[in-house]
Amino acid sequence: MSNLLVVLVLLPFVAGLACYLLRASFIRSLVVLGTGGILAVASIALMMSGPFTYSPEPVLGMSWDSLITIADFALLLVILFYGFKHNNLLIKLFSVAQMAGLVILELFWVDHTAHVPTFYADQLSLIMVLIISIIGSLICIYAIPYMKEHEEHLHLETTKQPRFFLFLVLFLGAMNGLVLSNNILWLYFFFEITTFCSFILIGHDGTEIAIKNSVRALWMNSAGGVAFVAGMMFIYASTATLDIQALLTSGNTATVGLLVGLAFVAFAGFTKAAQLPFQSWLLGAMVAPTPVSALLHSSTMVKAGVYVVLRFAPAFAGSFVATGVALCGAFTFLACAALAISQSNGKKILAYSTISNLGLIIACAGINTPAAHTAAILLIIFHAVSKALLFLCVGSIEQRIGSRDIEDMRGLYARMPRTAWITITGILTMILPPFGVLLGKWMAIEAASGQMLTVVMLAMGSALTVVYWARWAGSLLDMPGGEKPAPEEQATLMRLPLMTLCLGSVVLSLASPAIYEYMIRPMFVAAPFTVAGGVLSGPMGAFAIYPLFLLLGLGLLYALRVVKKSRGMTYAAPYASGANVEGSNDGSFVGPMNAPVKIQAGNYYLPAFFGEERLTSLANIAAIALIVLMIGGAL
Amino acid sequence: MTTDIILILIAIIVAPLAGGLISGIDRKLTARFQSRQGPPITQGFFDVAKLFGKEKMAANPWIIFCAWVYLVAAALSVVLFFLQSDLLLIFFVQAIGAVFMVIGAMSVPSPFSQVGAQRELIQILTYEPLLILVFVSIYLVTGSFSIDQIMLVEQPLLFKLPLMFIVLGYALTIKLRKSPFDFSTSHHGHQELVKGVLTEYSGPFLALVEVAHWYETILVLGLCALFWTTSIPAMIALVVLTYLAEILIDNTMARMTWRWMLKYVWSVGLALSFVNLIWLYAKV
Amino acid sequence: MLKSFIKKSRIKSPWIMHFDCGSCNGCDIETLACLTPVYDIERFGIVNVGNPKHADILLVTGTVNHRNKKVLKNLYDQMPEPKAVIAIGACGTSGGVFREAYNVVGGVDKVIPVDVYIPGCPAKPEAIIDGVVLGLQKFAEKAEG
Repeated sequence: MSNLLVVLVLLPFVAGLACYLLRASFIRSLVVLGTGGILAVASIALMMSGPFTYSPEPVLGMSWDSLITIADFALLLVILFYGFKHNNLLIKLFSVAQMAGLVILELFWVDHTAHVPTFYADQLSLIMVLIISIIGSLICIYAIPYMKEHEEHLHLETTKQPRFFLFLVLFLGAMNGLVLSNNILWLYFFFEITTFCSFILIGHDGTEIAIKNSVRALWMNSAGGVAFVAGMMFIYASTATLDIQALLTSGNTATVGLLVGLAFVAFAGFTKAAQLPFQSWLLGAMVAPTPVSALLHSSTMVKAGVYVVLRFAPAFAGSFVATGVALCGAFTFLACAALAISQSNGKKILAYSTISNLGLIIACAGINTPAAHTAAILLIIFHAVSKALLFLCVGSIEQRIGSRDIEDMRGLYARMPRTAWITITGILTMILPPFGVLLGKWMAIEAASGQMLTVVMLAMGSALTVVYWARWAGSLLDMPGGEKPAPEEQATLMRLPLMTLCLGSVVLSLASPAIYEYMIRPMFVAAPFTVAGGVLSGPMGAFAIYPLFLLLGLGLLYALRVVKKSRGMTYAAPYASGANVEGSNDGSFVGPMNAPVKIQAGNYYLPAFFGEERLTSLANIAAIALIVLMIGGAL
Repeated sequence: MTTDIILILIAIIVAPLAGGLISGIDRKLTARFQSRQGPPITQGFFDVAKLFGKEKMAANPWIIFCAWVYLVAAALSVVLFFLQSDLLLIFFVQAIGAVFMVIGAMSVPSPFSQVGAQRELIQILTYEPLLILVFVSIYLVTGSFSIDQIMLVEQPLLFKLPLMFIVLGYALTIKLRKSPFDFSTSHHGHQELVKGVLTEYSGPFLALVEVAHWYETILVLGLCALFWTTSIPAMIALVVLTYLAEILIDNTMARMTWRWMLKYVWSVGLALSFVNLIWLYAKV
Repeated sequence: MLKSFIKKSRIKSPWIMHFDCGSCNGCDIETLACLTPVYDIERFGIVNVGNPKHADILLVTGTVNHRNKKVLKNLYDQMPEPKAVIAIGACGTSGGVFREAYNVVGGVDKVIPVDVYIPGCPAKPEAIIDGVVLGLQKFAEKAEG
């Protein structure tokens, strides 16, 4: 047990240091590969061993709690230093506020003799560890050839990869520690490490905009940190314990102080998950290299935000804070889905979609029924896989075509067939049944049916998502028929993670009944769903996973067979009112002065309805109102 | 088990035949409204059979693939409906077909196809939230999303959800491609986008899309039928009257723009939904 | 049995595409009049689709000239088999009074094979319907052969 914990939490820190200190790129690649493999195996072993509680023995005569406290203050001082370096008042204020709060909490309030079990893992934590270790490792492996190409592209003289991989790999350990922590101070410490890693990695390229966006990310996440400290203080003042499990299982009715504390902690989760009105740091974070976007800003770090809300959800169940959390989450889901429609920048679409899905997960945490929790966990798993896949695809595409605008990706199938197919598969797993993201969405809507405003927002948001995904998938295939696509060259270490995640997103969806049965259902006293013959049934409705996979799979295979048989046919030119250019298949037509005119198509982005300038300020104001409602509702 | 198999066979075989007949009746009635004779009511079957006999011609292989997936998804959603499963699930399965039709149309570099596909996406954007809200309102009255539970209700749903039925009517009008919402493609001969999203689907593949449309017609009419499950004659009367209303609306209204549709249908649909839902929540 | 049903359906559901080559629009007005309630060719299952990919029968009016002969050929090629062509009016048949003009190629059959010629200037709707029905029979024979 302790060995697995050492591997999962400490090994990444050591490996990160190794990446920083050992300068040979070949050794660095080996370290990353090795760490990735070990982490993946360790996480599976941890999952198989089941839930546990664990506290590490004191080392060198000092308890780990004191070490963490010292490290905490050190980290806050470092952040304060960066606040001075970048001359940002908010960072300075927030880090000082956090230090002050911690001083009060640690030195004056907390009873250090009380024993708090350091680590506790239930199914939720174990699933998060699996996601972090497996998907995170795949992304780190992808980053090896990606960063090499990235630096060649930028014509860098000295490589910055050692620092990059230091923080990328170290981050995995911080995340593992975060989801396994039972002591709230430890959770806070790892939370702050992820903030810091995000700040460093966003600013990695060192350009003016990268630094600006990294500073914005730092102050917004530090605001979350302040809220977290305030939350910890309120919680400790009401319950006199740092033990999260003790807090959750105590069963006593939540007092006002506790609810306010929990609301502040939820607020911290919101900032980490870039919920409205804090979405601008995540959008700005898209300037970072793609592995950063994939790892931190879609599949893991932002999941820490929703994990925090989900973890503490049972404590505020039934109170107005829960309703407030549900409303905030649902509103973010709706507003960001709307904002995504107006975007043509691929990474921004993915960013808005991520924030939107995180809002959905938070809404489920707010709804707080076992069915809603199941939905949240399923969404966490499947969204992490699909979104990481899509980010890695966009990174690959961007390196090849030099643009991340989806209009430039039109007809990508002709240039990069494999990546185009993987991207289309990723997109389809995000919106269609029988895949996992849709299963989670279905579950969320059914679970929300008891709350009118929430369910209305979820329904509308769900419809909006189809638009911006379907048009992206369609435009990738927009090319003249009959052209044989050029065979695609791609670095092996980039191809492997892409294909693994692609296969994973489909296979895991097929395994969702098993995932529910063995990994999620044990969490609940009263199981929200029963699985029989691959059909997930609840009191309100049923989702037939195996039958749908079977029938849709057969239909798909039949359709593919028909296509294969028709390979011999000559493909017709598109209809262009009879003016097609002689002998061409690409729809170009004879225009004025008998000159050929090439077809140019574009998507409808509906800026008048969903334009960023129009909607963002409105959405932010509404979101702030809802957050105030949530915190005030505790009183 | 045997009832299930019979239901599946009815869904797969009888439903599209009924859908074809309904489309033929639609054309006959439309003609009568226009003081002309119109084609026989079996015209739909002649059309589809003729299309199957045409030479296979496509702009690329994706059109063929997407036409087949559209058909499979539409048929599957009707099968699920007849098997009385979860309404939300049926809705999401039918969405597969809609998405694939759009992807097929977007894969062709033709302006008619591309603009038609974008308009189709906006149509989907318009009716999807309203349909989900209809299902949520049905849940609020019956306590379940499963059709077998919904059918057991004692009082017809129409009495508790009259406004939601109107909202369903909007979704029905869009799904059936009736004026004023028929701008991505329509059943009438000409339109400004030639045939819009279906321009590049030809011959057998257009036949597949037409059969899929018959399945969808049966599905949406089935959703209307859910609003009066206590007596069969009343159910049939409701569906017939609704379809007649659709034909009347189609013949009296001009095609509008997608901007108008988005603004108008969303505002009216959401307002009606809110009022009906508040009424239900207040009673519950 | 299915094959014979498909054959029968070809006659029962001929979809037309109407193309005005160089017409004065006289024949076009008469052709479109057939679609109105007075003549109502939809009772034969005829639908005016604007898209050659959906059409079985191409109704051409007007003379062919050097510019629109390419368009005519393109539209004809984009129609999937089996298909038929009906030339309407004197101009479509042979070039009409404009036959000798410098820019006129002649009748439709100079560019694409024609199955039915409907003379007239303009051709009456009854004649057009008669010609279309005749064309359907030829169309059915062609499809079998």
